[in-house]
Amino acid sequence: MEEIQVNNELHVCMGINSCKGMGYSGTNDCAGKGDCATAVVHPCHTLNECKGQGACGIFGTTEEFCHPGENDCRYQGSCGVPILDSRFISQGPNKGRSVWQLARKRFEEKRIAAHQPFGAAPAGIYGPSNDFINKLKNQPAGTDNSSCGQSGSRSCSYIADPIARKAAAELRVLAVNIESGVMMDETLTTCKNVE
Amino acid sequence: MIATKLFELPEQVTPENFEDVMVQAITLELATIPTYLSTYYSINRAQNQDVLYAKILAQLKAASLNSEIDFSSLAQELKLDVLLYSNKSAALVMSVVIEEMLHLALASNVKQAICQIPPDLMAIGKVLSFPTQLDGHIPEFQINAAKLSLEQLTTFLQIESPEPFVDPNSPPLMRSIVKYQTIGKLYDQIIECIKEHFPGPYTQQPQLLPPEPKAPPRPFYGQNSSNTVHYDKDHNPIFANADDSGGLVGVYDSVSAIEALGRIQEQGEGKSKDNQHILEWGPDKMPVPMPVVDGKVEFWEGDYDDSGKELAHFAKFLEAYSLGGYYQKKFKGIAGLDDFFSYFVYDTAANATQADYDHSGNNALALCNKLGNATFAYILLMIETCYYKDESTQFDLFMYGIHKSMIWLLSGVGNQIKDYNYTKDGKAYRGSVTWEHYPFEDKPGISPKQQLIDLMTSLAKADSTNWGWAIKAEYANYWPALPDVSLDHNVGPNVPNIPLKNN
Repeated sequence: MEEIQVNNELHVCMGINSCKGMGYSGTNDCAGKGDCATAVVHPCHTLNECKGQGACGIFGTTEEFCHPGENDCRYQGSCGVPILDSRFISQGPNKGRSVWQLARKRFEEKRIAAHQPFGAAPAGIYGPSNDFINKLKNQPAGTDNSSCGQSGSRSCSYIADPIARKAAAELRVLAVNIESGVMMDETLTTCKNVE
Repeated sequence: MIATKLFELPEQVTPENFEDVMVQAITLELATIPTYLSTYYSINRAQNQDVLYAKILAQLKAASLNSEIDFSSLAQELKLDVLLYSNKSAALVMSVVIEEMLHLALASNVKQAICQIPPDLMAIGKVLSFPTQLDGHIPEFQINAAKLSLEQLTTFLQIESPEPFVDPNSPPLMRSIVKYQTIGKLYDQIIECIKEHFPGPYTQQPQLLPPEPKAPPRPFYGQNSSNTVHYDKDHNPIFANADDSGGLVGVYDSVSAIEALGRIQEQGEGKSKDNQHILEWGPDKMPVPMPVVDGKVEFWEGDYDDSGKELAHFAKFLEAYSLGGYYQKKFKGIAGLDDFFSYFVYDTAANATQADYDHSGNNALALCNKLGNATFAYILLMIETCYYKDESTQFDLFMYGIHKSMIWLLSGVGNQIKDYNYTKDGKAYRGSVTWEHYPFEDKPGISPKQQLIDLMTSLAKADSTNWGWAIKAEYANYWPALPDVSLDHNVGPNVPNIPLKNN
């Protein structure tokens, strides 16, 4: 079957693009292998420019949190873009679980339903880290690409030594991501139940 | 300063005064929102931990006579105390704010259904000013719009007390003659009146309804957000509200009306139960705190709602009060340290006014506060308008207006206004939103939304460094993207300009 081709697709994150050349840097071989969001970067709930450009996880309802990147219209997005590997769902029975993995799962569901191929996400199965985005965009190390909210970084620890702090934070995010992967079927079931 | 009275509690709720009593209930719920938000905005909940650590370490070293002592472990421990408590107390306050907004909608649904009259939130906003008090609450006590402190948390405990209490600060003679009341008892009276006189079914009018299968999307309420999250010492997230703590209730008859009001009682001050913490006063005329062991308090079964998963507002505030007192005492006992709260609470004045800012000569501060007050008034207008409109318009008002206004616009002002300083009576303060009525009606030829944009533009010109972004085209998704709502509840068609679905 011929792969669907669209121009200037706008999507919310790494690994959620529909076509070749539709990642941030435009060098990806195929669907699902884009390296970052092409949607207009925005920080939060209802500030997205277009359909499908809202992510989720930080502000919104349980129902909205089940559909990252699937908003119908401008200003209807649930949260900011891009989605980092550290972002977790903050509301509903799925709270504490990875947003990016759910966004990728939704993308895969659509591709499979349309009998369309897709490749592996370039930064791995848990989504892009802040460091990944900074390197990709040639931003200074430490530039914060996470989104809104006043409770502080979702990827951090309180260890005094900055190197040990970063390592501990990465381990904790990894643990959340491993658990989110294990719980994905339950996450999807929960979402069905609230729809 | 004389506290402004909001309402008088009637002796008895009757069919004749039912509408007035529901106005009182809505007023009560609304008044808590700016009260709690004032305190929330005063908290620096996610400061730079390295800067904080360096400050504490330097203070410890400076106060020690022995320069050989290694204070690094103690500084790390104290840093954690500040970071964890500041984030937790803020999350707890915000979790209550979110539920108070729910309670405002629940009380408005009941009034709409039984009285067939929408809530008049703008009218309430006109009379709300700080300091205020819950007139009719026995005993009366002053409520300030103020920064986080043990005194402010004491006020919160009084507001949310599940049991009648004696105010130790009232004159002794008064104590022997006043009747004690709680907010919960007001709702008890309302419920009794509904049972007896308003069985329903009620004629349906617009209400804010919960999500239902096959119904249009109703993205009105979520218990948690990023702002109700805080972290434990290992930086694992903790969510202040439970998912199943209950959301909106459509009111159709006495059963659903009582369910809606019962939800307010249970989440709010909590029902009077056995085995729950209550407001008890110590010899210092301050509330008796819960014991703190290893940085934690122990709750009792009755401190939770009926699901057993979520703490009532009173218990949340008692935890914040108890931990705050514990850490304040701990810091006081260590040479060289400042007051515990000073490490993370901005020094805002209690019950600041627009006049204070006007007189200060700080034009940007004065404009910023006007923008905050106007944005809050516009939120009330948008919520009120939901009770006149169909579900499609309600959806638009929430998606394009109310969520954005709470999360970004009001919050943006509430946080940024602290960057302005001013002096009053010889003392320097940070700016804070004053929650005074913004008189959109004074400019009848200019829509409220346009007045908001005019204020935003004036502020951007007065302080281009901090607010110049607001008038740039790429930020049209902030104030300019709000729905256009008039004071008579007309909503401009397709404002903001939203593409048709599936385009």
